[in-house]
Amino acid sequence: MRALALIVISMCTALVPAAAAAQDPAELRRQIEQLQKQLDSVTDRLRRLEAQPPQPTPAAPAPADAPPGPGVAAPPPATAPPSAMDLARPRQPFGLYQQRGAGQLLFDMGIAGDFVGNITQRNVERAGGGTFAGQENRFFPREVELSLFGQIDPYASAVVRFEAGEEARGADTSVHLAEAYLTLLTLPYGTQARLGQMRNRFGWSNEVHEHDLPWVDRPNVMRNFLGPEGLQEKGAELTFVPDLPFYVEALAGIFNGDNTTAFGRGTLQHPLATGRIRTFFELGLEHAIQLGMSVASGDTPDRNRSTILGWEARYKYRPDGWLHPLVTLTGEALYSLRKVDVGVDLDGDGSIDRVSKRERDHSGYYAGLEVQPFRRWAGGVRYDWSQYPTTPGWEWAIEPYVSFWPSEFLRFRLAYKYTDRSPQTRDAFNLNDSSARKVDEILFEASFILGAHPAHPF
Amino acid sequence: MRVRTSVLVGLLVLVGLLSSGAEGAHKLRVVTTIPDFKALVEEIGGDLVDVETLARGSQNAHEVEIRPSLMLRLRRADLFVENGLELDAWSDVAVQGANNPKIVRGAVGRVDASRGIPVLDVPSTRVDRSMGDVHPLGNPHYSLDPGLAPIVTQNLLDGMVRVAPEARETFEKNREAFLARVEDAMVRWRKTLEPFKGAKVVVYHPDYAYFLARFGVAQAGMLEDRPGIPPSPQHLAQLIRQMKDERVKVMLVQPWNDLKLAQRVADEAGAKAVVVPTMVGGVKGADTYIGAIDYNVNALAQALR
Repeated sequence: MRALALIVISMCTALVPAAAAAQDPAELRRQIEQLQKQLDSVTDRLRRLEAQPPQPTPAAPAPADAPPGPGVAAPPPATAPPSAMDLARPRQPFGLYQQRGAGQLLFDMGIAGDFVGNITQRNVERAGGGTFAGQENRFFPREVELSLFGQIDPYASAVVRFEAGEEARGADTSVHLAEAYLTLLTLPYGTQARLGQMRNRFGWSNEVHEHDLPWVDRPNVMRNFLGPEGLQEKGAELTFVPDLPFYVEALAGIFNGDNTTAFGRGTLQHPLATGRIRTFFELGLEHAIQLGMSVASGDTPDRNRSTILGWEARYKYRPDGWLHPLVTLTGEALYSLRKVDVGVDLDGDGSIDRVSKRERDHSGYYAGLEVQPFRRWAGGVRYDWSQYPTTPGWEWAIEPYVSFWPSEFLRFRLAYKYTDRSPQTRDAFNLNDSSARKVDEILFEASFILGAHPAHPF
Repeated sequence: MRVRTSVLVGLLVLVGLLSSGAEGAHKLRVVTTIPDFKALVEEIGGDLVDVETLARGSQNAHEVEIRPSLMLRLRRADLFVENGLELDAWSDVAVQGANNPKIVRGAVGRVDASRGIPVLDVPSTRVDRSMGDVHPLGNPHYSLDPGLAPIVTQNLLDGMVRVAPEARETFEKNREAFLARVEDAMVRWRKTLEPFKGAKVVVYHPDYAYFLARFGVAQAGMLEDRPGIPPSPQHLAQLIRQMKDERVKVMLVQPWNDLKLAQRVADEAGAKAVVVPTMVGGVKGADTYIGAIDYNVNALAQALR
């Protein structure tokens, strides 16, 4: 009953002004004319809008300092910056960040996952002589990498990479800082500096991460002379690109020298010095070749000098209009000049009477050919020949492989690798009453990329 | 000691000589990621600029190989123009390898030509890679929409004036003259495509959104399953059925697309596949900005006729 009374009162309240207005026909006519004008205006506006092409919401605001030129459509206004009151108001995390527009994180991030597996003979597993030493006949995460990269400010950019991987059979997956460096971008005279922990720009493949390599594994010569993960050091690199009619990049670096395979002294008082010079030539639009030479020289823990010279060449044939190269040839060679301490038994009694220094000049190389006739498929073969840095003997290997990309962000690879080691190759490959002189391996790899991933240079 | 000092001095002199390069009569050196902006900068700059492009018109601008030769071009640039909207994100790697502080991000010599344009196909929901090679910032293929030439050339002009303020007057005059020519041509283009307003076409990849919207032609479907993902047989069968049902007579293809596949699908649907480049220089006869749009308008009109 009370509700009914309320409804009646409400209706009366609403109708009274209308009824009052209706009492004046002139006022009613004026209102109708006003409504007619509004309708005409809206109809006209609608007609003009329909004549234009669709204009969805702009994603990029116009620069505030860019006034439109004569006869130019004005760009949409920029979003107003937060006021002092906005800044003072209590807010949720990223409250102000959201005003810059969704997805604006100020830097990029991406994850690359790289899983590898191998199947080989039992004796190779017992001797630990496979490509992934200690991980024979296993499938494991070799490298799962979180990358963060972007501009620090107008003068510098930074890259930080954390890596996780199974480093030994059945071991817990460990996480470590793989790279963290800043690059000073605005230095004068065509120079640029990189400081921090980084993969050294030594040769072509050393800088390439495991999941970006064109093969399942790093070439034997690189692993033998620079360690299973290559040369990664803490220090600084300076590059210089002169203003010449052809491309030349010169690089010089100073590092701690922590790499235990090649150097290992690990002090800036006796630093590892690196250098590289590379050039590039285009032979028409379709052929291109990059040539380079590198040097790294440092001390070993027993205070002996170790110097590694490197040569690199990379050629690509990319038919005009193709989205990928048809033929890629890659080759690198290393020559190691290393002093080692050798114990000398002068009187033949079995005990070492004197330690003398000997020169060990050893070398190795690899050459790879890849053919990619289709966008999603590539096949290739790599040949390796390498000595060992300090021990006698040598090995050669051949590795045919095939790669398949379901999309740009996912890749599968299958390879067969045959390795043959010389009879002089002892010690490391003759363990646990087994020998790993002749090794047959099936290698497989699955790699993916989540999120941002920087483009790869030539 | 004296020898070491001499070597050091010699090296410093060499570095100085090499880094200074040949100066002489200096034109404004501009490098653009795609040839469309090269054509526009040439229109604005006239004789005062020397322009190079990193990608060619016949190349897919999404996937340009970062050769050191690109870095060499960027090494000497006073101004660098990028498309933005993630079309040419690869150019950051090339710029970083060029050791040229004038064109790094945030420097006065860096121009993002997309600033202020009304972007199409901006995702309104959460996107991920299951949708293919999507662009979270929107469709980046705006450069050959003549209706956007005023905004794009304004961005270019702003950048050019920042690095060569003394030439402002010339640049502005050139731009006005160019825009007047575009306006004249626009009358011609609209007239040519007027009879086909509302017509439907199928595209290989969504590179034509701005161009088609400008002239009132509808995009009925796409040959790729999702952007950047090759089509499955089921998708192709469905597309052919759709083209037949909706009587779509034209498929627009880029020079780098799989022309055989496009032709096969078009044949089965009773349509024709037409190469319509989205960049200046994509085909012969499309070597200037207006020339490229002329080519595209005529090719589309002829195919729809």
